[in-house]
Amino acid sequence: MRVGSIAVGRSGDKGSTLDLTLVALDDDGYRILESQLTEEVAQEAISRVMPGTLTRYPVPGLRALKFVIEDALPGGVYATLHAGLHWQKAAIWVLLDLELN
Amino acid sequence: MSDRSKVVACGAGFAGDRTEPAVAFAASGMVDAIGLECLAERTLVPGLRARRADPEAGADPRLERRLRPLLPVAKANDCRVISNLGAANPAAAGRKIARLAREANCVGLRVAAVIGDDVSSLEDKIDWNDPVDGELLGAHAYLGVDALRDAVFEGADVIVTGRVADSALFSAEALPILLDDGDALAGATTVGHLLECSGQITGGNFEMPDGSSLSARDFASLGFPLARVFPDGSAEIGLLDGAPGRIDGLTCALQLLYEVHDPSRYITPDGTLDFTGVQFEEIGLNRVRVTGAKFRGRPSRLKVSGFVDQPGFIADIEIGYAGTHALQRGRIAADALRMRLDDFPSGAIRVDLVGIDSTLGSASLPPANRMPEVRVHVSAKCEDTTAAQVVEDEVYALTLSGPAGGGSVRSERRPSLAVIDGFIDRDLVRHEIVWETSS
Repeated sequence: MRVGSIAVGRSGDKGSTLDLTLVALDDDGYRILESQLTEEVAQEAISRVMPGTLTRYPVPGLRALKFVIEDALPGGVYATLHAGLHWQKAAIWVLLDLELN
Repeated sequence: MSDRSKVVACGAGFAGDRTEPAVAFAASGMVDAIGLECLAERTLVPGLRARRADPEAGADPRLERRLRPLLPVAKANDCRVISNLGAANPAAAGRKIARLAREANCVGLRVAAVIGDDVSSLEDKIDWNDPVDGELLGAHAYLGVDALRDAVFEGADVIVTGRVADSALFSAEALPILLDDGDALAGATTVGHLLECSGQITGGNFEMPDGSSLSARDFASLGFPLARVFPDGSAEIGLLDGAPGRIDGLTCALQLLYEVHDPSRYITPDGTLDFTGVQFEEIGLNRVRVTGAKFRGRPSRLKVSGFVDQPGFIADIEIGYAGTHALQRGRIAADALRMRLDDFPSGAIRVDLVGIDSTLGSASLPPANRMPEVRVHVSAKCEDTTAAQVVEDEVYALTLSGPAGGGSVRSERRPSLAVIDGFIDRDLVRHEIVWETSS
């Protein structure tokens, strides 16, 4: 099951830290995400794309999971070697396109 | 405009945001104040450079374009305008706004400029997270809503600031009606956080799992958010009648948690906020009631952003290939470039294919077999303009000595600049207000 089939998401950034938010559409979706998209699974997924250490914060009241990756954007968003500026706006698709078992 | 609530709207969520939503809010007569958030971390830097050359410069260069159409409508409708358009020089921005108002025959407009965020003279009192490696261009503290308080209570028509917490541009208007308790301020600050990115809470930067989103026509005239704030800090988020957009529990939850780290400890100068108990209740079409933010104390230190000039550039160049075998030719061009530029240490150069893997790297979806076109991209850290020229020339050289049909070349150089964070004891930071009146 694709994460993006049961949740919406958005990327944000502060300094060299990337933050990713997922909000499940319903309680069942949140239970699936909360149990399967663990800190380890998310860390492995984002490590294919960027450096940094991931921390997960569940917010059950909003059916949301917050993922914060420190030092994911070395030197901040303006020091990027990606094409143009602000590639990190699309980083949420690393999680949205993840397949869960 | 009841005494028991205040209506606050967001007229801009970044320096380059659209200008007409603010005018629509002012003209509606429904809004007590419009906040214009126009100052990103780095937006200050051109202002700092301009101020060095001219002491009256340093405000946002878009100030005139944004405020000329807005000021007369706002004044006529008794709607306050609150903005960080002052950037690196809020006092000069105040004078400029008074002048603009005069030119628009907008007489008696009272402008309050909030100064004090520039803490470069307190450099030795700043506790930087990283060493200052290079020339410090400027250091600005994030002021809280208390810096705007007197301007609101004394009836400023326009409040112009430099660096303040974005949320304060919106929460300030609610101060006269807020209960004197931390959770009320936490609620109003949360409303500011929800509003400060304009269209991001009204359906912008938002897609449902089935791929649906607003239509092109709706995005082209997207309504920005407004909020009716109550004394306990709770609020109703909505749109102007007839404005296109989408506000529901999902758009609100995404914006609440946007650029938040620990949701139980979101640090603002006005308080550390706990969002874990926030609730969004859909009370009508595109109307959401927000409650439940909690106050967890007032930080004793303010965050400071410092800007350090460093030598060098990032050179960012692309060359395109089209037609049959475009992807194959692009891959070969990228490999040839890697060979030509192999003296760059890894970490100082990136070569990839726009349309294939330039954004998400190895997490990219698999490409289609026949790509009608593809672009090869290279970015490299270059010590000086000569080094940048070499990389640019290597890409251009592919047009003669690379795969067939390379073209549509574009390039840019971005100066190297470090943004560093630090903290300063809030008692050391003195803010004050400079008044101007258009006559």
